[in-house]
Amino acid sequence: MTPAIAISNLTKYYRKFKAIDALSLEVAPGEFFGFLGPNGAGKTTTIAAMTGLANFQAGQIRVFGHDVQKDYRQARALIGLVPQEFNFDPFLSAEQILTFEGGYFGMTRGEAKERARELLEFFNLWPKRDEGYKRLSGGMKRRLLIARAMVHRPQVLILDEPTAGVDVELRYQLWDFLRQLNGRGTTIFLTTHYIEEAERLCGRVGVIHEGKIVALDTTEALIRKMGRTHVELYLTAVMQALPRELDAAGATLEDGGRRIHFEDKNGGLAEVLRVLYRNGLEIEKLDTHQPTLEDVFLKLTGKKIEVRE
Amino acid sequence: MRYRIGFQTLVRREIVRFLSVFSQTLFPPLVSSFLFIFIFGYSLGAQIDRVGGVPYLEFLIPGLVMMTVIESSYTNTSSSLFISRWANNIEELLVTPLSYVEMVLAILIGGLVRSFVIAAGVYGVSLFFVRFPVEHWLLVFYFYLFVSLTFSSVGMIVALFAEEFEHLSIMTTFIITPLIYFGGVFNSVDMLPGFLRQWIPYNPIFYMINGMRYGMLGTSDVPPAQAMVVVFLLFLSLFTTTVLLFKAGFKLRK
Repeated sequence: MTPAIAISNLTKYYRKFKAIDALSLEVAPGEFFGFLGPNGAGKTTTIAAMTGLANFQAGQIRVFGHDVQKDYRQARALIGLVPQEFNFDPFLSAEQILTFEGGYFGMTRGEAKERARELLEFFNLWPKRDEGYKRLSGGMKRRLLIARAMVHRPQVLILDEPTAGVDVELRYQLWDFLRQLNGRGTTIFLTTHYIEEAERLCGRVGVIHEGKIVALDTTEALIRKMGRTHVELYLTAVMQALPRELDAAGATLEDGGRRIHFEDKNGGLAEVLRVLYRNGLEIEKLDTHQPTLEDVFLKLTGKKIEVRE
Repeated sequence: MRYRIGFQTLVRREIVRFLSVFSQTLFPPLVSSFLFIFIFGYSLGAQIDRVGGVPYLEFLIPGLVMMTVIESSYTNTSSSLFISRWANNIEELLVTPLSYVEMVLAILIGGLVRSFVIAAGVYGVSLFFVRFPVEHWLLVFYFYLFVSLTFSSVGMIVALFAEEFEHLSIMTTFIITPLIYFGGVFNSVDMLPGFLRQWIPYNPIFYMINGMRYGMLGTSDVPPAQAMVVVFLLFLSLFTTTVLLFKAGFKLRK
C-alpha cells in the first residue's frame, strides 16, 4: 500500500547549520501520527519541507506517491496544513478566508461557500463570519485555522502544535474532532508540545532530536521499551540496610530507612515482595509511577518537553 | 478545470484586496491626475504652443494615462505581495496546488485590473477638459497591457527583495518617478536641454509614454515599432525573472 507520507533521507541546511539530518519515516494511510521533539529539533522544518514552505538539499518526500517537489501540485492538493502561527489574509473576512481557500484548491464558489458554512457552524464561528481575523479571539483564530485546512477535505492533515495556547475545553473539543476525522480515514500528522495529547491521540510516535529521528514506534511500544515503572515501598519499621538481593537488583533505601525505591523490570516487584516477606518486613503503603511518553521523551532527548502558551 | 478555478480565485482575491481599500488604491491617483490635467493642461497649457503638432492639453493626456498605468501597476503588486510576506499569508498561497506561473500571473492580473480602472478613470476625467479621436485603439491596448504587466512584475520583484515597507517607496521616489518625469509625460524630447536629450533613449519609460501617445494621438518622439519591441522585451525579461524567483522560492520559502 502506498504510504500517505514517505520521507526518505530528508536533509535540510540553514546556511551551514544542518536542521534536518537524513530523516526518514513513513506514515500509513489513515494513521494518527505524532511527531515530538524539543524546541528547535526540526519538527516545523520537516512540515515546511512537506508542504512546500521550505526548500531542502537532499532526500525525497512523497505524499500518496506524489513527489512534493516534482509533482507538487498533486501532492499539495492532498494536504491540509494547520500552521503554528496565524497566517490569515488580512483583507478577508472569516467566511472569505474559507471560501477563497476552497477556490485555491479547485472548489467552485458554490461548493466552497457551502463547505465554509458547514465548517463555520461546526467550529461555532458562523456569527463571526463577516469579521476579519483580527477581531477574533485567540481560540476563534485557532479554530478558523483548522477550518481553513479542512475546507478542501484533505486526505492528509498536518497540524503543527494546533492546541498551543488553547484553553482546556477547546483542546478537548479539538481532540474529539481530530479523532472523528481520523476515524473517517483522514491521515493525521501532528506535532505537539502536550505529551498527553500525543498519548491520547496518536497510534504511533516519532521523536526528533537535533534533526534526527531518535525513536519511531507505536506509543505503547515506546513506553514499554523505554519506560520503567517506579515503585516506592513504605515500610512499617525503619530498615538499617537493604537485603543483599535487593541491593543487587538496584533498589535503594531512602527516607532514613523507611522507604525502598526501585525500577520495576519484567515483573521484579513480585521478587522484591518475596524478599521482604522472607526478611519479616511489613509494608505500610505501596506507590507506583507508571512510565509515560514524557519519561521516554526525557530519556531520549535529555530535555523536558516545553509547553508554549 | 480544478487548477483553472484556483487561478481565477487568486485573481479575484487580488481584485477584492484593492477594492476593499479603494479609498487608498483608486481615489488618490484619480485626484492627482485631475489636478495635473487642470493645473498643467487646462491652466498653464493654454500658455504653451502646440507640442508635437497637437495642443498641449491633448499632448499631456496619453502621458498621464501611462503614468497612472505604471504607478498603479507597481503599487498594486508590490504592496499586495509585500503585505502577504509581512503578514505571512503568502504561506497560505504557497501550500495550494497553484503552479508558480499561475501565482505570478494572477497577481500580475490584479495589477492589470487596478491600472485599467485608474487609467480609464483618468481618461474619463480628461474628457471633461478635452476630446479627441483615439488614433489606434489596438496600440493603446498593447502599450497598456505590456507596460502594466512590466511594472506589475517590477512591483513583485521589489516586494520579494524588500525587507521593510519603506523599500517599496524608495523604488518609486528615486527610480520610477524620475524616469516617468524624464520620460516625456509633460514634454517632448525636443523641449529638453541637449545634455539630457542624449540620455533619454536609455530611459525605458520614454518608449512607453511615446508608444501610448502614438496610439492615442498619432504623434511620437520614437517610431512606434521600436517602442513596441522595447516594451515587449522588457516585459518578457521581467516576467521571466519574477517567475524564476517564485520557482526558486526567493524570500518565500525557508
